[in-house]
Amino acid sequence: MLAAQTKQTKQQPADKPIAPDRPFVLAVASAGGPRIAAMNEAAEAAGLAVGEPLADARAKAGFLQVRAADPVADDAALRRLTLWATRYTPTASRYDEASGADGFFLDVEGASHLFGGEDKLVADLAARLHRFDLPVRLAVADTAGAAWAASRFHVQNPCILPPGRQAEALAPLPVEALRLAPDTCATLRRLGFKTVGALLDKPRAPFAARFSRELLRRLDQALGRIDEPLIPIVAPPVYHSLRYLLEPVVTQDAVVALASRLMQTLAHVLTRDDVGARVLKLSLYRVDGEVKTLDIALTLPTRSVPHVARLMALKLESAAATDDAGFGFEAVGLAVTRAEPMPARQTELTSAGLEDRTERCAALIDKLQQRLGPSSVRRFEAVASHIPERAERLAAVNGAALQSSPPEAAKDTQADAQTDAPTRPLLLLPHAEPAEDVMALVPEGPPRRFRWRGTTYEIEHAEGPERIATEWRRAPPVSAHSRVSGNPDRLCEDRERQALTRDYYLVEDSGGHRFWLFRQGLFDRETQNATWFVHGLFA
Amino acid sequence: MTQPAIIAAGRDRAAVVQELRRLLPGTVDLRTAVPFGLPALDSCLPEGGLAYGALHEIVPEPHAISAALGFIAALLAHFFSPPPCGEGSGVGGGRFSKREKLFFVLPAYGFRGHGRLYGHGLRALGLHPERLILVETARRKDTLWAIEEALRSGAPAAVAGIVDKLDLKASQRLHLAAVDCGLPLLLLRPAHDLESSAAATRWRVGTAAAARDRFGLVIRPRWHVSLERCRNGRPGEWSVEYDHVAHRFSLAAALADPAHACRANQTNEAAAGRQAHCA
Repeated sequence: MLAAQTKQTKQQPADKPIAPDRPFVLAVASAGGPRIAAMNEAAEAAGLAVGEPLADARAKAGFLQVRAADPVADDAALRRLTLWATRYTPTASRYDEASGADGFFLDVEGASHLFGGEDKLVADLAARLHRFDLPVRLAVADTAGAAWAASRFHVQNPCILPPGRQAEALAPLPVEALRLAPDTCATLRRLGFKTVGALLDKPRAPFAARFSRELLRRLDQALGRIDEPLIPIVAPPVYHSLRYLLEPVVTQDAVVALASRLMQTLAHVLTRDDVGARVLKLSLYRVDGEVKTLDIALTLPTRSVPHVARLMALKLESAAATDDAGFGFEAVGLAVTRAEPMPARQTELTSAGLEDRTERCAALIDKLQQRLGPSSVRRFEAVASHIPERAERLAAVNGAALQSSPPEAAKDTQADAQTDAPTRPLLLLPHAEPAEDVMALVPEGPPRRFRWRGTTYEIEHAEGPERIATEWRRAPPVSAHSRVSGNPDRLCEDRERQALTRDYYLVEDSGGHRFWLFRQGLFDRETQNATWFVHGLFA
Repeated sequence: MTQPAIIAAGRDRAAVVQELRRLLPGTVDLRTAVPFGLPALDSCLPEGGLAYGALHEIVPEPHAISAALGFIAALLAHFFSPPPCGEGSGVGGGRFSKREKLFFVLPAYGFRGHGRLYGHGLRALGLHPERLILVETARRKDTLWAIEEALRSGAPAAVAGIVDKLDLKASQRLHLAAVDCGLPLLLLRPAHDLESSAAATRWRVGTAAAARDRFGLVIRPRWHVSLERCRNGRPGEWSVEYDHVAHRFSLAAALADPAHACRANQTNEAAAGRQAHCA
């Protein structure tokens, strides 16, 4: 585990230029006045300390430049830096609040040999961070806790602890190296435990009795007796392939070419494991430490290089990711974040390539989604409800829907086709629109004439009613009461209206236009003035 | 044993499979058109039916968008209909399997006022909504792109769409894409003034009183369909009914009952009057 602590990730608000060689601090409001949250080297030299009241600091330093700390910007900057660090290993996690929120952990196990060993990796990381003008302290150790401690308190700056000897290395470090709460540290110091070593050979029971669980947990974590869960900044990929470039690339074509080459290397591994990629993530590492990521979701698992390349091109075009390439991208990574089984299958000769078509369908949907947006391609999904507008919704197309089993579907169709007449309209209005000047027999007669959107229709033929009542679970509880009183509560009026029973009629006018009308509310029982609505148009 | 020459050559797998399919008897359907099953209609069309690889325009009469959409849905369902029992290749389409998808490109602009396609209504017309994949586009450019992309991919069994403006060049492009892939492209054209286009056929669909059973209930939708333009064919005008159970078109029977005939005439006059009013 590698820990990197950066001293000046704190963002400097740029409202007034500051002199970097004079004392400069960031202040944060706290109980009893503002206190110092971060400072530069000049301030350190002036004898200031983080956490000191600002008033004291002014008195000590004489001249002091102060800005308000911006924790949100700090957090964003740290996130950016951690994302950038995924160029070394996919599992990078930034420090949480308890760890100081000023650095990141990298799990370099299994990744360091790619750089020629841990020392080379650390040197490379230090050089790059130095180029970003970030003073940094790095440490490599067996555990996250030990690496954190070594990066803060060890005398060597890039410090690599030999494996299996964490206890020896940690022993001379102060108790603060265990990532404890400040008051715990103060109590330990008052009791005479100044170094980690002082705690190591003492019996555990008294500590457990007198201190919070935190102390022993942190000690165990640092020594590797218990695991420390870390939250990686991006979900660790299933398959990952990364390429460093000697010369940074800028153009979209170059990025697509690189991505397809990365996919080629991934395809071999995917084929070996009999899986295909469902979600891909392309990471573009800019020279100046910025990272751009593009996510590509696929309808069916795929291993096809040209397909992925085409999608990348479309995505880059729509996202305009290469627009601000800056000085170019120095590394490009492609990760499979979700893989699904994709067994090899026999091509059928006689059925004219049905599987082929399904695959091409999925490829087409992927392409359409890249350009038109993820929610642009949808399918009908029936919902168990009698209310027409709720009886259906548009759902995303997934692989399962594309491969839906045909026999069931066929049976279903036949069962439906047994009904003699079309009872549902082809077009459903998004909201039922009121029909005006309706002439109908009271209480329950079909309509004879109505006006809708400025045209009056004389009805020649009406079929119905088909009575659709509200589902009982949606009916408002107050309806029984207000029905008796006949004076519906104003607030509940809307819901009340929703809850009324509808009588649907298929009507045909003299010109052959067929409409789906309904009367809302039953006379005398639910309402005194039933209103009519147009809800759909038949073919 | 003679080795097929195709295996010897180092061609890629897809090409080899394609070649084998061509050599095997009965795997490639050579029919290029789906007949309506109505001699009156089919005789007007050059290939004895609606051509597969072609652009077909369907234009609604005023206030008849739902009728035109219904006609499109009926055509799509007809493409999928199984061949009649005992016949290998009959009146129905039958070229496509049930699992193949249809793509319907719906623009989000301009069409909202007419409501949205309702799956249960499609099912009532015999077109299973599971076969349909809806593509929603926000811009005119995207609509044409999506239609062409869907055709060129060769994935769907047919493509339908709503396009309000289509110049000659764009229509040629779409028609060529449909020809190349051998897929039918049905476009609803709710436009007031139609430009000249490269479409193989242009149908105008109007409303008509539905077919009733002997109890007077609506059993089949009926449309007034006129073939306005047809390359290498003849124009014509019919009253067409569609049976959603058998996926079959039929011509409306001549009305023998004088009372009904009288009413039908009235409705025609009323429709004509409304059209004049709209114009």
